[in-house]
Amino acid sequence: MSSKSKITIANANVEFVCDDDTISRAAVRAGLGFPYECNVGECGNCRFELLEGDVAYLRENPPAITERDAQRKRYLGCQAQPKGDCTIKVPLRDHYKSKHLPRKVTGTLTQAIDVTHDIREFRFALSEPLKFLAGQYGLITAPGVAGARAYSMCNTGEDGAEWHFQIRKTPNGAATGALFDRMKTGESLQLDGPYGMAYLREDAPRDILCLGGGSGLSPMVSIARAAAASPALKDRHIHFVYGGRTPADICGEDMLRVLPGYAERIHYTPVVSMADDPASAGWTGKTGFVHDVAEALYGEALAGFEVYFAGPPMMAQAVTKMLIKAKVPAAQMHFDQFY
Amino acid sequence: MSVQKIELCKTADVDEGAAIRVETGDLSLAVFNLNGAFYVMDDTCSHGPGSLSEGPIHGDVVECDFHNGSFNIKTGEVVDPPCMIPQKTYKVVVEGDAVFIEA
Repeated sequence: MSSKSKITIANANVEFVCDDDTISRAAVRAGLGFPYECNVGECGNCRFELLEGDVAYLRENPPAITERDAQRKRYLGCQAQPKGDCTIKVPLRDHYKSKHLPRKVTGTLTQAIDVTHDIREFRFALSEPLKFLAGQYGLITAPGVAGARAYSMCNTGEDGAEWHFQIRKTPNGAATGALFDRMKTGESLQLDGPYGMAYLREDAPRDILCLGGGSGLSPMVSIARAAAASPALKDRHIHFVYGGRTPADICGEDMLRVLPGYAERIHYTPVVSMADDPASAGWTGKTGFVHDVAEALYGEALAGFEVYFAGPPMMAQAVTKMLIKAKVPAAQMHFDQFY
Repeated sequence: MSVQKIELCKTADVDEGAAIRVETGDLSLAVFNLNGAFYVMDDTCSHGPGSLSEGPIHGDVVECDFHNGSFNIKTGEVVDPPCMIPQKTYKVVVEGDAVFIEA
């Protein structure tokens, strides 16, 4: 069932159509700078004030909404579906405008390749090409699973014919369970994107540092691949630090090794955090946490890097803290918070 | 490097214990009046899209009403998470009835 509603942003004097969609996603599709980040109800960046009309939530009781929001008629744009025309108030910002406007398409699984014991690369051919910026993510609606999940692409999106995702299997996760255990090549699902602001800045005249852990592999690989291929960044070094608990989690080197300039200007450092675990026996590389290793390796040079990072919430917070301490300007830090 | 002085508003535009948002050039600023003294920081929270000029003020601290993090209005330092990156503050000069920043 299709339902078209007219949404008016009163404070910006702007109107857009929301066609069987959520309010912030429809706004971003229309080219507006509607604030958002996670797209799945967790981060709260897409809050807006409802002045007139009524909305229903896609995901019931999204975590980012508080009692105070409810009292002030504030809703999450990424989860709110209009029930008829609505008038809202939200601060539009250019930062949130998309270069490639997100769309919903069908993705057909062409290949699934194991990267580690719990990370697998899923490759989808799109029903129509959809370009994206390296580091961006898509929303995947897995067959038989309610609600979409956000996953970052690992390939580069200059032609947009295929989107590849390196996804880490979540224990007891419904969506990754459907993808890992039931999805077969030739089967299709809905993809929606591209989204996200943690994309490669080709105009930034600095060396690049990619810090990744766990599922943060995918966007960091995309960034490194695009940076290696970018004429504007041909003289820049790309430093890639990837952390896992034991050596079985370590991956990514084979993806970087094939890039032009590997070892000369592309540098890979794997890090194992559970060095005392029997599973880490024989590991001769760096040990500890990604943020500590990056701090020790690069020290005062950090402030001169363009830094991209992705990983579990605890890692992202530790990295942010370390970068602030190292006086890296906020404008040089790029990550999407999914919490 | 020459310092540029930018007029933001009149002193009477900002009530005591309150804040207003001022857009000038590329800057979006929050101008605070604490007991007659003026303080200016970037209006957009370093953590998300929240507007600090709309946040509740408790003493020297402004709370972002998006994620409930908070900053010291005088220094921009983080007081409460989830904000982690200090807010950029500006040097304020009051001349007559006008509030300026040096940028």
